[in-house]
Amino acid sequence: MDFVANREVFLPALSKVIGVVERRQTLPILGNLLVVAQGETVTLTGSDLEVEVRTEFGANVKEEGETTVPARKLVDICRNLAEGTDVRMRLKDERCVVTAGRGRFSLGYLAAAGFPAMGLEEGGFEFDVEETRLKRMLEKCSFAMAQQDVRYYLNGLFMELRSSLLTAVATDGHRLAKFVVSMDLAIDEPRQVIIPTKTVMELKRQLNVSEDSVRLSVGEKSLRILLGQTAMTSKLVDGRYPDYEQVIPRDLGEVAILDKDALRRSLSRAAILSNEKYRGVRLSFGKGILKLLAHNPEQEEAEEEIEIDYDGEPVSVAFNVAYMMDVLGAVDAEKVEIRFQVDNKSSIWKGEGSEDETFVVMPMRL
Amino acid sequence: MSRLILHVDLDAFYASVEQRDHPEWRGRPLVVGAEPGQRGVVATCSYEARRFGVHSAMPIAQAVRRLPPETIYVRPSMARYAKVSQQVMGVLETVSPVVERVSIDEAYLDVSGLTSLVGPPAIIGAQVKARIRQAVGLTASVGIGPNRLIAKLASDVQKPDGLTVVPPEQVGDFLAPMPFTVLRGIGVKTAPRLERLGVKTIGDVRQLPLETLRQHLGARTGIQVYQQARGLADDRIDPARPRQSISRETTFPEDVSDPRILEETLRWAAQEVGSIARQTRHLGRVVTLKIRFHPFETHTRSRTLKVPTADDAALFGAAWSLFAAEPWSGRPVRLIGLGISGWSATDGGVQMDLFETAAPEPCPEHDRLAATLDAIRNRFGADAIQRGLSRRSPG
Repeated sequence: MDFVANREVFLPALSKVIGVVERRQTLPILGNLLVVAQGETVTLTGSDLEVEVRTEFGANVKEEGETTVPARKLVDICRNLAEGTDVRMRLKDERCVVTAGRGRFSLGYLAAAGFPAMGLEEGGFEFDVEETRLKRMLEKCSFAMAQQDVRYYLNGLFMELRSSLLTAVATDGHRLAKFVVSMDLAIDEPRQVIIPTKTVMELKRQLNVSEDSVRLSVGEKSLRILLGQTAMTSKLVDGRYPDYEQVIPRDLGEVAILDKDALRRSLSRAAILSNEKYRGVRLSFGKGILKLLAHNPEQEEAEEEIEIDYDGEPVSVAFNVAYMMDVLGAVDAEKVEIRFQVDNKSSIWKGEGSEDETFVVMPMRL
Repeated sequence: MSRLILHVDLDAFYASVEQRDHPEWRGRPLVVGAEPGQRGVVATCSYEARRFGVHSAMPIAQAVRRLPPETIYVRPSMARYAKVSQQVMGVLETVSPVVERVSIDEAYLDVSGLTSLVGPPAIIGAQVKARIRQAVGLTASVGIGPNRLIAKLASDVQKPDGLTVVPPEQVGDFLAPMPFTVLRGIGVKTAPRLERLGVKTIGDVRQLPLETLRQHLGARTGIQVYQQARGLADDRIDPARPRQSISRETTFPEDVSDPRILEETLRWAAQEVGSIARQTRHLGRVVTLKIRFHPFETHTRSRTLKVPTADDAALFGAAWSLFAAEPWSGRPVRLIGLGISGWSATDGGVQMDLFETAAPEPCPEHDRLAATLDAIRNRFGADAIQRGLSRRSPG
């Protein structure tokens, strides 16, 4: 193997695949990237056995071949090269030699044959979605995914495909986010999958605001996403997602309508004097006024008031301030609608007029 | 400058509370623990009973053989003891702000700063004892020394109602004649290893070089014992060091395989544990089931709850589901009990969960019910009121 590529082509490709490479691996080869030079292209692949990212770029291939090299070292070398440098990579005397300008780096390598490539599942359901829409969907929901919860099926994003609806749901039990996109999927049987948290975060990182379409191929056990020159293949979480509709309360009381930024600023201030570990802030809704109250074990106290549009019964309920901030961060509208219940039951949040989104936040018992 | 650590140990605590509350039992041998004629052990016994060689953890049958017929036998009522303990700890906090409670009847205080305020250590110790007697009418033994080890050993020297002060310069003489088995880290396995070297007292241990101790006891214990023999030990008192767990268990008079009896026993244990947890303001996440089959095959199983609790029904529910999940049905059970740990701060708030509504629902009505039940039991005794249990006729 021997090829030359410009750093400005090589480095963007590297940064697409490096995200899935874990800092600590179960197999040494998973710390490496698979590099394949063939024809006029070089293909890079990174994997952690759960999710794999593959991308390609044009290069001057002098000798075809393949190998695997330490991922982080290669990325760090390329990142620190001068802009516009040509990088040559070849195998020589049991080493993978990278030369650029006047620098020369001999890296150890492992044979490409040992790299565990994820197979492509046949017969998956394929559909296209605009890149911006997919990105928006992930941004609306991903914050609510569980991380390493024993309820393993919550460690991911639930995606449901129906004939005219694409629904995404994420929850860690403390809050839930649901976002619906109307689109013609032309699917006969509804399909449901759980995409692992890491895949979702990596995909979100790689998606841009564009009208390009992204192709998703949803199989029984895996999911493949094609975007431009990059293919991401991920295992799916094998489990049953809980009946999320059941925990989205209906028939709630009066709605309170608040200015999102005003609430966000008040919360940030009140949070300063909340209990550092539990971060609870009490919200007391009265006619036309919302009072925020926080205190900490040192008996310090913060009180804030916001004028709101509310005409219902007085209700007082406490939430983890981080959960409220996450929701406000996911709302696009300028005003946010909140509906809640008494007795430490769930509340519903959404942007004013944004019928495609639903956020459920569970309160704290203070 | 060395610190001044005070150790308080309430004398024969459970038994003393019983004698305090029942004047007619004073001056008589009294055993708190299992019922005679059944299995189980002595939890605590009065000093009158100790004269007959009876001690804590002795099988009840053995105790009965030694004790005279006029002996009083009572089942423990933990909720009452917990309340008294709570009062005592409150009193200790009026002496020094640095109080570390280590068990229901024991605590360490850092009284280093008090000498210029109150007087010499002996006066501080006398004050602690007087305040406890005044507040709850019980005697305590107090030991004062430069660290936890010395304070604890000192409180053991003259029991009951003792007060022993060991100034730093007398630590060597104080320890030298004591049997080396009082040192931390010396157990049934390690003691014989030193005995083989002819060691009997702490003074003997001090003659041994560190290398010898490390060889015979292992590196960690070796160093620990070496230091302790020289009177060196931890002098930190941590008021925040919380109790690790609350648990109750019972040994059956005869092995039990009837699930209804096991269920009832677990409900009782849950009630006792819940009651203590509520009074001491603990909410726990981890429920542990302990079970012992004939003859001494012991198992524990734990479950972590999503929502921390001190609720009897939630504790029982978790423990019972742990039992049901094992292939234990029909096996003769010798002992069963449950405990709670994994404390969650009660003041910071409890995050509710979307999917755990079936599990412990800590709603205000529930808490009020529990508080009312506790109040009734405190006033009229542990058996005054019980939760009902529906029982269908078989078939």
